[in-house]
Amino acid sequence: MKARYVGGHDLQTLLDPESTVWQHSRAEAIRMMGTPSGMQPTAAIRVAWPDARIGAIDRVSVASVHDGRHLAFRIEWKDESENRTIDDTTSFADAAAVLLPSVKGAPIITMGAPGLAVNAWYWRADEDGSGRQVVAEGIGTTRTVDRKLVVGRGIWKDGRWRVVLARPMRVESPEPLAQLHPGDTTGFGVAVWEGSRGERAGIKSFSGDWRKLQLAALPQARR
Amino acid sequence: MAESKRQLAMVMDLNKCIGCQTCTIACKRLWTRDEGMEYMWWNSVNTMPGRGTPRDWEQMGGGFRDGSARPGKLPTRRDFGDAWEFNHQEVFYGGKGDKVHLKVQGEEPDWGPNWDEDQGGGEYPNAYYFYLPRICNHCTHPACLEACPRRAISKREQDGIVLIDEDRCRGYRFCMEACPYKKIYFNHQKKVSQKCIFCFPRIEQGVANACARQCPGRVRFVGYRDDPDGPIWKLVEHWKVAIPLHPEYGTEPNVFYVPPIAPPRFDEQGNLDESSRRIPDEHLVSLFGTPVLDALKVLEGEMAKTRGGGKSELMDLLIAYQWKDMFGGFDRDPATIEWEREA
Repeated sequence: MKARYVGGHDLQTLLDPESTVWQHSRAEAIRMMGTPSGMQPTAAIRVAWPDARIGAIDRVSVASVHDGRHLAFRIEWKDESENRTIDDTTSFADAAAVLLPSVKGAPIITMGAPGLAVNAWYWRADEDGSGRQVVAEGIGTTRTVDRKLVVGRGIWKDGRWRVVLARPMRVESPEPLAQLHPGDTTGFGVAVWEGSRGERAGIKSFSGDWRKLQLAALPQARR
Repeated sequence: MAESKRQLAMVMDLNKCIGCQTCTIACKRLWTRDEGMEYMWWNSVNTMPGRGTPRDWEQMGGGFRDGSARPGKLPTRRDFGDAWEFNHQEVFYGGKGDKVHLKVQGEEPDWGPNWDEDQGGGEYPNAYYFYLPRICNHCTHPACLEACPRRAISKREQDGIVLIDEDRCRGYRFCMEACPYKKIYFNHQKKVSQKCIFCFPRIEQGVANACARQCPGRVRFVGYRDDPDGPIWKLVEHWKVAIPLHPEYGTEPNVFYVPPIAPPRFDEQGNLDESSRRIPDEHLVSLFGTPVLDALKVLEGEMAKTRGGGKSELMDLLIAYQWKDMFGGFDRDPATIEWEREA
């Protein structure tokens, strides 16, 4: 997938899942699969979640743009139920995330490994407007490192979620975060959680192995 | 998983519990007054036989079977009884106190945390019931701890108290599913799971748990399981009259119960019938397993001794002549301590 360069827009436009920026971006259809039950980190989760129950959302479409300063993704998927609130012990919110390698060679299937961090940009419907920047170095090690740099906005309409996740391409942080530069090629992955089915944590749909992400170079005049 | 070096425990004597809920309120006032905690009762007292809190919790699974994790269900807020809203404003401040009465606002509730109080079981003249107070069991083999994918739950090395780290917790509620006693609550404001903390800030200052210290019936004994001078060791290990609830759940609880003995039955002529117990053995076995029958025998034997004018060390211990002896050394007066609440 190519993250198209879009200049001359303010950040708010990029963050609007229905803005013309996204209408003019070619989205890539991605088949999703449930995370394997056998890889869930605890026995209680493995017995409660056999493979057949995991991965309610089987396809998403993803587009990406950058303006030289911010990189943004728009994830869109079909979802009959809008789960925006967690107001009961049994309710879970819809969520989506983009995963990027913080360092070359970080494995995606195990959500990183010690010393090989991955960086998730996470949005959950009950926290709409603010995203989470998450770092992981292996299954069960995710931690939110900030709730400022990643912005997530979701709109649910006509049985579809359209969610934008954006972050400054380069960030100053002592944490192992993905640092992005126009013209670079990196990998990305997508995950979606269906709240109405109780999906949370490692119970989700994901896009499989790293997918290629090419960040368009800046136009000559902007270099 | 590192094993705890020592284990704090509680024994509750069901023969002394009068169902007054002072323990429940002591806990509520101390720990669960914040937003999102309205429906929480880390300590609950229910009438048995009964559906309990949350409603029908014994049918919700969790825990272990033959050593393997068993799937569990999430109770809803309604199952817990939720928090009812009342028209306090109207009755107390609206100038209508002589016309309107206190009533639940909104939808009429169909369950509460103590909904089936005193219904019990059996038929007149042999009806029976008893009260079953419950807190987190601070299990030796905690299903909650093992279920958490974030390792947000830990068991303290020094005393075996099981705690949820709210900074690590992401509100996934696998612990709530896994706990077979359904003693974990979800705070829908903070979006984290919360539960009984065995009053560890008090314990660390030598003060017994609020539910134990406030109990007017002297029901609750506190202390280390391995302290031969303390009440827990004596009741659990030595006399073997205090046993865990639902041992078949496989979590090895550290709350133990002295089983209840009701008055004798009447036969059809109205004479005492001591051929069987008023609280049916099968009911108690369904709760505590077959060890309850041995515990009852010991209790009945010692009661017979005192009835005959003899002395029973066990009965003296259970009567708790010296209130402070119930707390295994955790008998400091909380009023002598300056407490600070952390932000």
